[in-house]
Amino acid sequence: MNEVVDWQGYLAMFDQEALMIQSPFTHDGVIVFGADSDYTTMAIAGLHLLSSRGTEIATMRSLPLVNPSAVKSATGTTVVCDDENTEACEWNLLVGEEATLVFTNNLERNLGFHGPAELESLDPSFYADIKTAWEQELKPAHVSQGAYVSEAAYMEGAAARLAFMAQSTNANLIWPPRQLDADGQRLESPSQPLMTSAIVESWTKLSAAGAPSEFALRAPVLGGIQTVFVRFEQGPCGVFLVADDEQYEPAIGDEVTFVVRRIYAQEGLIRYGMKAVPKLN
Amino acid sequence: MLTAVGRFMVDVAVIGAGQTKYGNHPSGLKGMWAEAAERAFASVDQNFEPRCVDEAFIGSVAFGGGQLGNTAALLTEHSGLEGIPVRRVENACASSGFALRDAWMAIKSGQADVVVAGGIEKMNDLSPERRRFWLGVSGDTEWERLAGLTFPGTYALMARRHFHEYDSTHDDLVNISVKNHLHGFENEMAHIRKEVSFEKAQSGFMVADPLTLYDCCPTSDGASAVILAADHVVRQFTDDPVWLRSSGAGSDFLALHDRPSITQVRATQQASNAAYKAAGITAADVDLAEVHDCFTIAELMATEDLGFADRGEGGVFAREQRGVRNQGDVCINPSGGLKSKGHPLGATGTGQAVEVFKQLRGSVEDARQIRDAEIGITHNVGGSGATCAVHVFGRDRA
Repeated sequence: MNEVVDWQGYLAMFDQEALMIQSPFTHDGVIVFGADSDYTTMAIAGLHLLSSRGTEIATMRSLPLVNPSAVKSATGTTVVCDDENTEACEWNLLVGEEATLVFTNNLERNLGFHGPAELESLDPSFYADIKTAWEQELKPAHVSQGAYVSEAAYMEGAAARLAFMAQSTNANLIWPPRQLDADGQRLESPSQPLMTSAIVESWTKLSAAGAPSEFALRAPVLGGIQTVFVRFEQGPCGVFLVADDEQYEPAIGDEVTFVVRRIYAQEGLIRYGMKAVPKLN
Repeated sequence: MLTAVGRFMVDVAVIGAGQTKYGNHPSGLKGMWAEAAERAFASVDQNFEPRCVDEAFIGSVAFGGGQLGNTAALLTEHSGLEGIPVRRVENACASSGFALRDAWMAIKSGQADVVVAGGIEKMNDLSPERRRFWLGVSGDTEWERLAGLTFPGTYALMARRHFHEYDSTHDDLVNISVKNHLHGFENEMAHIRKEVSFEKAQSGFMVADPLTLYDCCPTSDGASAVILAADHVVRQFTDDPVWLRSSGAGSDFLALHDRPSITQVRATQQASNAAYKAAGITAADVDLAEVHDCFTIAELMATEDLGFADRGEGGVFAREQRGVRNQGDVCINPSGGLKSKGHPLGATGTGQAVEVFKQLRGSVEDARQIRDAEIGITHNVGGSGATCAVHVFGRDRA
């Protein structure tokens, strides 16, 4: 049995240098994703885990089931999804039929993963409802009512959104990034990462009825959506959704950490971002 | 920086003001604007006709898919004002507060003698799904909205933090809700004309924890207009003007997380300080204040930012009923405020001015009249505090 690591809401196992990461949820005996996860969010979590253990992956070959730009923004890893330019890829991301991924740098070697015996079975109606909601949300005809974050706007802030990259000034860190300072000088591009934990200074739970249109399909299934206002140790503040899978009611003073999850989809495009989860001590 | 403006320039008076009833209005844009303009024109005591107007500024946020561009020209066309210079002013919920400021500056600068400032919003002619458009459309889209926040959510964050930092509780917000419904009950122009008990407001449906339905303003249709005139032409139109003694404005970061504090609104502090200074008054001189209570916590914080209560004492101010009509030193939201009178976004700022104009002229319903009112202010906020305009009105010119 491999050691199972609880990592960013997923379960991870190592076999020498290879890593298997999977969702902790099942439905009808099949491993399935939770409410706001997919192959992209799990791939990012896996890359974070590998990085935390000293393995940095520059390029990686994968089936086109992960979003390369989100992975690149969050981790710096280039994902190659076509059949060309694969020679440069030292690592491969193997996508399972269920909600599993394997990172390996040796396709010749047999992998001997033995997953955890017990997984959490999702409530069938919840699973069906959230799956249906995402399917509807991902339709190109599902358009925003008043909060359109264009691809250009989203990508402009992607490094700050997905990797917490902040701008460094003489006095402090600025996050999210700004353009000009009070002297009219352009601020440097974000280059300094924020700490990956922060303290809750306020929070709210928005009822399903009051949810913005981007969340209108899933909010009733989730029983509302929770947002925390946090302060990072280096000074900047931010607002974040609580990850959908978390059974957690925040309190002022709580320490939280962050994971990449789906935020919402509109016009067929998924927007990814950081969500908060309670920090386990 | 434009501060203490107007001391050495022409003085400005309000000579007329009118509005539609707020709520689910049966008319469309053109009909609503015509109704507000007609009432404003009719309220001028003498010698007024639309051709007297030199320029107009009309605030609105959006029209939910209706006439999006060149709205102001459409509206002037339907109020006998075609041909004059006109433009739409957009500053979220403070749109017409800034339209009023623009109109005031147009006269101050000597470019115009008679100017119309107005606002309009048609919010209830959309399908339920499209109506979600209004939920926080003026907030920070890229960061706050992606964190699931609408305006109930952002103000809920402020409320919970205020409760944490100071001696305030949700019951203080309940007191504000009860007061504003009390004030709005007698207001014929109010959207929600019903008194609400403390117990009922205390147990409302949770919208954004800790804010309940009774902490939130309604979604209203409405239009409002005020007519301003330069001092040298005022007497052509009335012997009973209300003087618009000063205009102050400020701004802050759009998103809460960029601000130094989420329990105070710097834009309000900047705007009120500038307006008080230019008018030569302090908060203690104010008899009535139309305050931007899009949420009850917004009023609580505004009582501090406007100087009616010390920092952190807004809850105590509400608890002690110090803003109730003819009960404390200052009446907060004699119209019922956004909570009861309603909040047709772009119309709210000049709608507040309509109320102050009528209060200072003693022409509101008897039950609502503030006794011996000499000085009133309007406080109009855009978004969660990114923009703010404060205006000081007086029976006396200075």
